[in-house]
Amino acid sequence: MQNSNIQAAPAKALVAEAIRKAYGATVALEHADIILEGGEVHAVLGENGAGKSTLVRILTGAVEPDAGSIHIHGKPYRPNSIKDARTHGVATAFQELSLVPNLTVAQNLLLPHLSRGIAGMVSGRRNIERAAQILAEHKLGRLDPRVDVSTLPLADRQRLEIVRALKNAGSVLILDEPTASLAETDWLFEQIERVTARNVAVLYISHRLSEVREICRSATVLRNGATIASVSLAEATDGDIFEMMVGKKVRDELSGEGRARTSGDTRLKVSNLSGGTVEKLSFDLKAGEVLGIAALEGQGQRDVFRMLAGLERVNGGSVELDGKPYVAHSPRAALKAGSGVAYLPEERKTEGILAGMTAASNVVLPILGTVGFPAIVNDRVEFRMAKDAGERVDMAPRYLGFAIGDLSGGNQQKALIARVLATGARTLLLFDPTRGVDVGTKASIYAAIRAFTDEGGSVLFYSSELPELVQLADRCMVLYGGQIAATYPRDQIDEQRLVTAMTGHFDGRERAAS
Amino acid sequence: MTDLTQTATRSEVQPPQGRLAGQTFARLLQGGLIIVILYLSLYALYFYQQPRALSAGSIAALMNNTVPLALAAAGQTFVIISRGFDLSVAGVISVCNVVMAVYPLDGPGGAIMSILMCVAIGGSVGAVNGFLVAYLRLQSIAATLATMIICQGVALVILNAPGGRVADWLSYELTDRLFKTIPISGLFVLAVVLAWLYLRRTSFGISLYAIGADEHAASLSGINVRKVRFFTFVSAGVLYGLAGFMLSAQTATGNPTSGTPLLLLSFAAVALGGTSLAGGKGSLFASVMGAATLMLLQKVLFSSGVSSFYTGVFQGCVLVIAVVFSGLIEKLGERAAKL
Repeated sequence: MQNSNIQAAPAKALVAEAIRKAYGATVALEHADIILEGGEVHAVLGENGAGKSTLVRILTGAVEPDAGSIHIHGKPYRPNSIKDARTHGVATAFQELSLVPNLTVAQNLLLPHLSRGIAGMVSGRRNIERAAQILAEHKLGRLDPRVDVSTLPLADRQRLEIVRALKNAGSVLILDEPTASLAETDWLFEQIERVTARNVAVLYISHRLSEVREICRSATVLRNGATIASVSLAEATDGDIFEMMVGKKVRDELSGEGRARTSGDTRLKVSNLSGGTVEKLSFDLKAGEVLGIAALEGQGQRDVFRMLAGLERVNGGSVELDGKPYVAHSPRAALKAGSGVAYLPEERKTEGILAGMTAASNVVLPILGTVGFPAIVNDRVEFRMAKDAGERVDMAPRYLGFAIGDLSGGNQQKALIARVLATGARTLLLFDPTRGVDVGTKASIYAAIRAFTDEGGSVLFYSSELPELVQLADRCMVLYGGQIAATYPRDQIDEQRLVTAMTGHFDGRERAAS
Repeated sequence: MTDLTQTATRSEVQPPQGRLAGQTFARLLQGGLIIVILYLSLYALYFYQQPRALSAGSIAALMNNTVPLALAAAGQTFVIISRGFDLSVAGVISVCNVVMAVYPLDGPGGAIMSILMCVAIGGSVGAVNGFLVAYLRLQSIAATLATMIICQGVALVILNAPGGRVADWLSYELTDRLFKTIPISGLFVLAVVLAWLYLRRTSFGISLYAIGADEHAASLSGINVRKVRFFTFVSAGVLYGLAGFMLSAQTATGNPTSGTPLLLLSFAAVALGGTSLAGGKGSLFASVMGAATLMLLQKVLFSSGVSSFYTGVFQGCVLVIAVVFSGLIEKLGERAAKL
């Protein structure tokens, strides 16, 4: 992963100095500095809420800074819109993906400059040709430019978002969590190498440090809205970086203390469960156990979770909860069934939070019924109820009063985990509970999960990050093509094994994709 | 790692042919396939009851009845696709109607002046709506409610009770037939539909659908959301102006509340055409057919001898059935697209 090194570059690709941005009383960025060299891949590291997103928004022209200066190749740069930023050669692949679902791949790729034909009409054929060419250039020729974006799987949408940014990046390319939905990084890194060869500077934001080390040479660490340091990654250890990010020695939870636990009674017994892409799946989840699921994108893990949560139709098989038949037709029914099953959905923004309401309201939502009819639910009651749950995930009470949409991704996720814990359900279904959150938040979430299982709770969780499964799971199942490819006990879980099974190589033979 | 890449790639490739076919099917549905079928079957029923239904005269009469609602629904479609609501339709039509009744301009020259006046009235109200919604970020239902009330007030100031007289040339010529066959009013609708078919293939049209589906993503894609929203309301206003013009030609007289009955019917026509009130989906042609179906239903009920008091009941039921049915069909289409 050697980046081309242009010695003769007269000015740095991007220099941002003393950037400050406040939203009302909340200071998002206090004093951020960052310097990007042309042809360099530079990481920005920091906890959620450190100001990374704000920095990205400022560089892309979505938000104007209150103070500070930015120069691109020596020229002042102060974009007032995304379009304006693009004319300066700055393009961004957004974390939340900025594709319009009801337009085609070609239209999304070429907006806002579609090819025109007769009388200013957009020429469908010409756009499709152009898009096909761009896709082929970026090794995505398998995507059909004519289909609507809404029909693409999440991973392809992310690739499309990245390709669009690659196409538009003339001098600076910003990649905000580009691998959040990608199972592998080879394609991405190849594209990054191609763009750096054109002397484009790449700003790379990711929570996965191993990935950052692979592609980036240097990194700028942000904490509480200020630049702490710019370091060469070759010289800094993971510990140094975590310390710079968090400001204190990271707790032990992250260093993965193994634990072999003796499991209790069977809590959830799944027999021959079928539905969606899943066929005849059987497994047990014991009391006090963390059962992990490892799988590549789209191997049926989503269906398993959604069926158990009562969101998707079960076509066959049976599920028992504490020895009694368990049938959930809705998440509410799942919560009420026996000892209760609570589901943490995958999409934080669309399925999780209610953005306009406070964090406290978000947390107590499923347990409002326990307040009883005549009592009035006011902010104080909610706050009191939410505080206990918040403590279990290490959420500072001061955040509870804010609208949850204004909180950082990490705190939103903590609130959602507090919500499932607050339900009192003894079985939690956590779908990628740490997607896109920082190390500090991860540690808190892990601790909360451990505490929950230590009290006899059961957790079924899927994670797109293998180290997390290795560290947290008491047992780990690997799904492949809608079936269980392998199950490993605690002492046999390692990344190598999981990857092998995830790609369909297990028990020494290969199975065709179904 | 190479193994991983290949497997991942293999498992993500889906047969594009089926997806595309499903998508084309969905497009056809959005374009008004269902409503056209519904309309034709209703017309067959009408023909069965009234063999004269296919005579040029009755087609023209039906067309004349339909055109004001069709144009109003066409305008409403613009705003609804962009994920908004426009109540000002009632106000604009009323103002245009009373202006034409109080200041009749005769002859072809007068007609051109009148149509320009109506378009200007509608366009300016639309510009105000657009400014309030796109630039001051008011919710569309609140902003257009205000402009509707203002316009209704203005209409009452201009003409405080039904009366006045629209220029004779207009009320005769515009309800007539060209070469004794083609209804003139139909040509207006045809022109609007053609203009729509052109517009939806321009970047404005594509942006309109984009901001209706996801305004944030659209703006991140470099679309000037405010400008598109603004011109959406202006285009809608212009069409309401045309609707007011055609309504005046039909009724030949002025009424300061003439636009009010068209307000809710315009929403009904849009929904009947299968345009999603949640934005990002739909077609102007389908709304025009929706309007035509609502008016044809009145005729059919009348010729079946059902009391006109029941018209609303039937219109509402047809609306519910059509929306449920198109929802079902769409789900089938989506399933096809996924396979």
